[in-house]
Amino acid sequence: MPHDGDFFGLLKESGYRLGADVAPGGSLPEGFRPTEGTTILAVNYDRGVLIAGDRRATAGNAVIHDRADKVLGIDDHSVLAISGSPAIAYEIARVLEHTFQYYRRSQLQELSLEGKLRRVSRLIRENLPMTLQGIGAVIPIFAVYDLSDGPEGKGKIFFYDALGAQFECADFATTGSGSPAIRGALYYQNRWSGRPLASMGLEESVGLVLRLLETAAEYDTATGGTDRRAAIFPTVKTISREGIRDVPAEEIARVYGEQVER
Amino acid sequence: MLLDEPYRWAETVANRREYLEDQLRGGSPAIGIPYDDGVLLLTFGRGGRKLFEVYDRVAFAAMGHPADIERLRIAAVDMAHVDGFTNSVADVSLQRLVNFGIAPLVKNAFDEVFRAPYIIRVLMAEIGPAGGARFYTVDCDGTFESAERCGAVAGTEKAAGVMRAYLEAARTEAGGLKEALDVALRAWALGRKVGRAEEEGQEVPESPQVEDREVGEILREEMRTRDAEAAVLARSRLSKSKFRALTGEEVRAAVSKYL
Repeated sequence: MPHDGDFFGLLKESGYRLGADVAPGGSLPEGFRPTEGTTILAVNYDRGVLIAGDRRATAGNAVIHDRADKVLGIDDHSVLAISGSPAIAYEIARVLEHTFQYYRRSQLQELSLEGKLRRVSRLIRENLPMTLQGIGAVIPIFAVYDLSDGPEGKGKIFFYDALGAQFECADFATTGSGSPAIRGALYYQNRWSGRPLASMGLEESVGLVLRLLETAAEYDTATGGTDRRAAIFPTVKTISREGIRDVPAEEIARVYGEQVER
Repeated sequence: MLLDEPYRWAETVANRREYLEDQLRGGSPAIGIPYDDGVLLLTFGRGGRKLFEVYDRVAFAAMGHPADIERLRIAAVDMAHVDGFTNSVADVSLQRLVNFGIAPLVKNAFDEVFRAPYIIRVLMAEIGPAGGARFYTVDCDGTFESAERCGAVAGTEKAAGVMRAYLEAARTEAGGLKEALDVALRAWALGRKVGRAEEEGQEVPESPQVEDREVGEILREEMRTRDAEAAVLARSRLSKSKFRALTGEEVRAAVSKYL
């Protein structure tokens, strides 16, 4: 019985497996198209980090769902944005959520930032068999506000590759099938526009992110744009010293009207 | 052997009970009462923590052997988290944690005469998502009770009963945290007053009371070796986890009235 606060270990003891039992060396059945497709991005703004994701889930060329939520709050100061297989990604998010809480409650101290990052990495690596089969790969962005940074802290953005390697990003990160279309734009904006990302206020940052997601949707069929008629907007969350905030749909709609639609 | 002689077995169980009551007799009571924003837990301890968070809306308090307290609280935390993950956060309930987790654990340890029993009395509290509160107590022999108005464990059954009567009459559920803290402190002092009277073999009056001056005396005496500890499950907390340990200032402010 682990007394080290390892929730995933506790789960495995009770027989839990992260991925499905895929036969080793097996191949995907003919015509099986796993659900995927996304653009997610995270940017620093003047109070912390802003994370956004589109709402579309696709399988091959079929649109499965138009209201998928890919930006998931994990604890009071961390958010996981997911691209890749939603099934595994949601599972990873749930395990993570419980992992951080379980550690604090059993060990009577909060898991450090480094510790949290390693847990994310480990879960992605745990998913390796599925990833190598070509299904179930998860490539998330993990955004945190590190309270130990003090009042000068700005929030940190971490990007993971499909095998669990972790990279800290300065100012922005984007992943998913639509991300190549906007990665260049983010770099350009941050470097030469005269308005570096980390200096932007909330509304300006939301406006930028909405425009970028529209751009990604323009060039990637697996990324959903904004559906004005049905009022389906991208999910946007912010993390600051005060915690996580869901930017409400009304606010996004207003910024969209002022900065995107014109 | 023991199993062949039922009288010996009954005698052994009686001895265990007597042993446990003896071990727990001088222990510091733990109190749980509702207030307008949730529930308050209060106890006094010697250095270590005795109030713990188990899950989003579930808290744990205990008196007894520190290592046994540690084991049981880990068991509660483990159960709650595996359950909350496998099903959902909303499915984790104190009723299930106690009925199917904690109470059986304690009962089994008590029953098996070749195993050491848990030297412990547990008090657990839970707040409902929309309102309401529930308290459970689990005794060292596995008996458990549930109540909505308050929860209390103490060194003796008499002390616990007196405290419960006091807390129920106080009706703290509509009041603020400060009022609840005050009631809890008085109840704790009353519990120690009764407990000490029993320890010294004195007569305990039918419905004992405790006045401000007496509360001050008892607290001064006890706080030479014990520190006050308090925590809440507060519905208004923004975080999903509603547990908050009260700060040193909050506790000192409540106690200073009597010192």
